[in-house]
Amino acid sequence: MKPVQQVTNAAKPVDLARKTSVWTQIKKNYAAYLFLLPKLILFVAFIMIPVVWAFVSSFQEYKIFGSEWVGFENYVKVFQSSAFYDALKNTFLFTVVTVPFNVISALIIASLIHPLGKWSQSFFRGAFYLPTVTSMVIVAMVWRWMYNQDFGLFNYVLGLFGMDPVNWLGQSSTALWSLIIMQCLIPFGVGIILYLAAMGSISHSLYEAATIDGANGFQKWLRITIPLLKPTTLYLVLLSTIGSFQVFTQIIMMTGGGPGSATETLVHLIYKTGFRDFEFGYASAQSIVLFAIILIFSIIQFRVLRYDD
Amino acid sequence: MKKMLSLVLAAGLSVGTLAACSGDKEASKETDSGKDWTGTITVWDGPRWPDDKDNKFHWMEAKIKEFEAEHKGVKVELVQVPWAELPNKLGVSIAGKSWPDIAPVDISGSAVSIDQIDQGVLESVDDLYTKEELKDFYPNALDAYKYDGKLYGIPNSMTVHTMLLNLDLFKERNVEPPKNGEWTWDEFLDTAEKLTFDRDGDGKTDVYGFSTYILPGYYEAWPFFYIDGGSPLSKDMKKFTFNDPKAVDAIQRLADLKLKDKVSPESSGGADVGGTFQAWANAQQRTVAMQPWATWAIGAAQGKYPTNFAVANYPTGKSGKPVTIGGVGGWTMFHQEDAGKKMMVGEFMKFINTTDEQFEMATKYGTFPARISTADKDPYKDNPQMARAQEMSSQVVMLPRHPEWKKIDEAIQTELQLVFNGEKTAKQAMDEAQKKVDELLK
Repeated sequence: MKPVQQVTNAAKPVDLARKTSVWTQIKKNYAAYLFLLPKLILFVAFIMIPVVWAFVSSFQEYKIFGSEWVGFENYVKVFQSSAFYDALKNTFLFTVVTVPFNVISALIIASLIHPLGKWSQSFFRGAFYLPTVTSMVIVAMVWRWMYNQDFGLFNYVLGLFGMDPVNWLGQSSTALWSLIIMQCLIPFGVGIILYLAAMGSISHSLYEAATIDGANGFQKWLRITIPLLKPTTLYLVLLSTIGSFQVFTQIIMMTGGGPGSATETLVHLIYKTGFRDFEFGYASAQSIVLFAIILIFSIIQFRVLRYDD
Repeated sequence: MKKMLSLVLAAGLSVGTLAACSGDKEASKETDSGKDWTGTITVWDGPRWPDDKDNKFHWMEAKIKEFEAEHKGVKVELVQVPWAELPNKLGVSIAGKSWPDIAPVDISGSAVSIDQIDQGVLESVDDLYTKEELKDFYPNALDAYKYDGKLYGIPNSMTVHTMLLNLDLFKERNVEPPKNGEWTWDEFLDTAEKLTFDRDGDGKTDVYGFSTYILPGYYEAWPFFYIDGGSPLSKDMKKFTFNDPKAVDAIQRLADLKLKDKVSPESSGGADVGGTFQAWANAQQRTVAMQPWATWAIGAAQGKYPTNFAVANYPTGKSGKPVTIGGVGGWTMFHQEDAGKKMMVGEFMKFINTTDEQFEMATKYGTFPARISTADKDPYKDNPQMARAQEMSSQVVMLPRHPEWKKIDEAIQTELQLVFNGEKTAKQAMDEAQKKVDELLK
């Protein structure tokens, strides 16, 4: 009975804390809140208000000098649009291939780096993180050159084996896969860093116990490391899924969504609808639908990968 | 005390942040006459011809200095925008109601749409010139800026698309260029075949007869699609007609230059504008003998990329008539709240669009003047290639001015890309395009 009593006693202050009103908390720590105020103002001005505005706009036909309410018309248009389904299909394919590949490769790379010495670990950590701090515009331009049909690196290599050049970005059959391969081959720097940090926090005693029980290196990795990295994995899967659903820079820099609609993605479609066709209401509706799709995916991933399971 | 200090500091930070978000307020003085108006006029312009320091904005900068000297208290702010970025940047500015006062755009829909004119984004400039003064502009140039009976811009130049022939490659293959730049499709194909060759004897083709590119908003290849009498829309713009045999056959023939005749490189029909031009003009490459380009390319081939070249018509097809696509450039004035400022903005538009300024633009920038008085000064007497291109003005067909043209264009061009890839026949692609275009024509 004693442990139960302890738990009950321990819960009391928590309950009291919960009862404490938000306003009391603010009054108590008002200086901290005031320091947070500038950031909060920027967050509200540049994130919250535009998000609410986009939601409101999705029910309007945008006009420069006064928009008109159109109800669910924009949403109906979204679900009747073949361009939207084409873009959704491409984005989905891009996501289901790149997200698992990037997360698993980050896990493997981090696992290989983790046992190394301090200096080697720092070197590889920096090397793999470097592409993350490089602008995607620059990365896309380099890859565009590598994929160039006439003088690109890939066709040069194919030429060494007597193979014909491939129009990597110009054919429907290869364009999207070329972008997917590019995304897969760019190291997932954030993932590697976070996995390394998480691996560093796993208690050595667990590995020692496993060693005493006769587990080999792979078994320890599979049975201890991977399960204890689950919260990090969940975070990275969510992060990279959201990023993949929002893929844009590579598309606009390398293919413009073409040829045909072979590489059209949701965010590129939204961009075109908004800033080429100036249909901001329709673009807002597309954005809200994208938000809902990402939300559903995130909930599914959260339920499948959550730690307490 | 500590808390008070924190409070003041945090409040200061908040105020500072808010202050940083606010823009500088323009100092303006509203008057009725316009002559006394003082303040800032914002002008957007793209890079034009370079001076000896490779400054491609020197012409506009010089005009601004002159204007400011003549109008005390008026400041003209130049925003330099690359041409390729101008439509997007302007679109964003229009959406945010932060448009410039003047921009070098047309009203065909690529930068400013008919719908936006209806919403009052552009100012009508009907009062800028007298009827007598307007007679100095070519009527077709003025027509390009007319909508609903009003003038929404002042034309400063006209362009056409032409065929550019690399004469060094013609000489290398001992091929005669078309007489007077006139030829039929068969003669053009025969020439392209002769100009496609393996220079180093390794069994691979090094030089091709012809290439072009396909990209929404660009029309170098399009005159080829008109040569049998085809056109994208019916005259009343209610019906899609690019899947008519007159257009489909012409599209397929051009794609077959790569797919069947092998006189075009694999990259032909792709979306690489710069790469296509470099293949014709760059002395390090010169791997293509003939390409279609707008007249700016003549200036480039005479300046930055010195090339021994000739200008020719597009080949004729079943219609027997040479055809090209033309465009009109000029200045548009955006919505003005202040009558005095509007007058001053108009004054600046006139200042940069005189007979002499158009003459300078014609001789240095490779455009045709929109003013008759400029043309009368014979700007191309020492420039046979531009003079030849100007002759093609009579062959010009204009693109349809449909409010949804930008979307129609994309629906067509994205399908055309698939034809040039060999993924679809011209008929299949244009039938597919029709499904999308019909929705837009409703």
